[in-house]
Amino acid sequence: MGSFPAARRVRRPRSYYIGMGIFFLMLAGLIGFIYYSTLKIDYVWRWYRVPQYFLYHDTIEKRAEINGIVQSITQKGETVTIVVGGDEETESYTSPAVDIRVSEGDVIYSGDVLTVHQKWKAGILIQGMWMTLKVSIIAIIFGIGIGLFTGLARLSENPALKWSAVTYIELIRGSPLLVQIFIWYFAFGTLMNTLIAKNEGLQHVLRGLLRTEQIVQVPPLWFGVAALAFFTGAYVAEMVRAGIQSIHRGQTEAARSLGMTYGQCMVHVILPQALRRVIPPLAGQFISLIKDSSLLGIIAIRELTKATREVVTTSFQPFELWTVCALLYLFLTFTLSMALQYVERRTITS
Amino acid sequence: MIDVRHIYKTFLVPHRVEALVDVSTTIAPGEVVVVIGPSGSGKSTFLRCLNRLEHADAGHIFIDGIDMLDPKTDINKVRAEVGMVFQSFNLFPHKTVLQNVTLAQTVVRKRPKAEAHDKAMALLTKVGLPDKVNVYPDQLSGGQQQRVAIARALAMNPKVMLFDEPTSALDPEMIGEVLEVMKTLAREGMTMVVVTHEMGFAREVADRVIFMDAGAIVEVGPPEHFFKNPTHDRTKLFLSQIL
Repeated sequence: MGSFPAARRVRRPRSYYIGMGIFFLMLAGLIGFIYYSTLKIDYVWRWYRVPQYFLYHDTIEKRAEINGIVQSITQKGETVTIVVGGDEETESYTSPAVDIRVSEGDVIYSGDVLTVHQKWKAGILIQGMWMTLKVSIIAIIFGIGIGLFTGLARLSENPALKWSAVTYIELIRGSPLLVQIFIWYFAFGTLMNTLIAKNEGLQHVLRGLLRTEQIVQVPPLWFGVAALAFFTGAYVAEMVRAGIQSIHRGQTEAARSLGMTYGQCMVHVILPQALRRVIPPLAGQFISLIKDSSLLGIIAIRELTKATREVVTTSFQPFELWTVCALLYLFLTFTLSMALQYVERRTITS
Repeated sequence: MIDVRHIYKTFLVPHRVEALVDVSTTIAPGEVVVVIGPSGSGKSTFLRCLNRLEHADAGHIFIDGIDMLDPKTDINKVRAEVGMVFQSFNLFPHKTVLQNVTLAQTVVRKRPKAEAHDKAMALLTKVGLPDKVNVYPDQLSGGQQQRVAIARALAMNPKVMLFDEPTSALDPEMIGEVLEVMKTLAREGMTMVVVTHEMGFAREVADRVIFMDAGAIVEVGPPEHFFKNPTHDRTKLFLSQIL
């Protein structure tokens, strides 16, 4: 705990600096080579086109929806309210008071522009990154729950629990995630949504709950989340099992000899120690999960990779955009890794 | 207090060992019984059977009239009445000394926090560690850890205390402090079953000494008789080797 003597500047051998030089030379060489190659195929770098996919200035025009006369324009601080009186009805429109295109008494028709203002909006890449983050976080939370339960079931003496856990873990770990996503979406998804659509009573209840008239269906997002959560859960379960088994048997014996039940012993003695030990492998698993979420694009979830693909098809700037995409993933994984390292350090010193 | 009748225990893993063969004894309230014997003689297994950390294969064990081997017995309830101290301390490393002593009180005995805290402080003072309450076990010496473990067991107000070689993992200079705490307990009238190699302790504190070999009780007697005039050859051999 900071008790190391202040690190004295060590004189490093010359070979160290030579190696460092070689590293940077290679890096520059690689970038230069790629750039040179792209020039050879007449690729035009247009980095200036990239920022609009992060954040853009959107122009919003507020239009009248009825024919009539502008009855009043009241400005209140930064916002303005325009009341339009028609033959049968009156409508009022509120928007920021930046550029008002009408004045009181004007005769206007449906579709006329009343006000214009501009607004910063998140671009498609940010939206995609947000979706990736959302899907990953939900899947991580469910994955921890599933993994914890399965890990404990795996260690149970009861065959119903133990064999279920083993079967689940082996099935998940033995098949590709891509295939699992397809199964979740095309098999379970179709099955579930068809059953939901066919069940009149259930539809009625769901429509009431969601306040909608349309047929209620489970959106693809949730099948994607389920695929990721169950995939991660199987790996987390094995880590939890290993973590629990790594705690010395004496801990259980001490807790049980004090009269604690199996559950009390787990909650108060074994799990706090076991989970602390499995934080590093868990971090690796969650980083994998963020990267694996890029597969969800195939079932129409517009996460970062799918968003990038869409932008690439419209902008024809694949080199810039895929580089940016990779960097955004790096940003997410690096942040998570840092966060978990912080948690690990916190729990070890306490 | 404790009534053991004809218990048997055989381990099959890693290989077949008959750890206990027809062991019977009774222990009266307030009695201090020391169990000695060569390693592998089944003395630890015997002790661990008493609170069912090992499940005896056959026979009966009654503690305060409760049948320990009856599947209908609420084992957690009985274990709360039987304190146990281990050779390797087994303190909870993620909890402070104080938390180690209060945990089972609040979880098992459902005592209010304040009461558990007061009880823990009183016991930690008794074992001579009132100034170590907020440190973690790995910051303590072995002797200190074992004294915390004794306080942890005592916090449940047990009727019996089981000691499984409590000083075997300690450096020689720390054995004394742990034995001192145990002697105090014995003087206060605690019922104790102690597996140990500390012959001095046995001679001074024990009401009865049990000598075990090859899973069976070979000889039982008060210490003065036991150490001076052992009757069995096996006992004589053992004593000659260690004394």
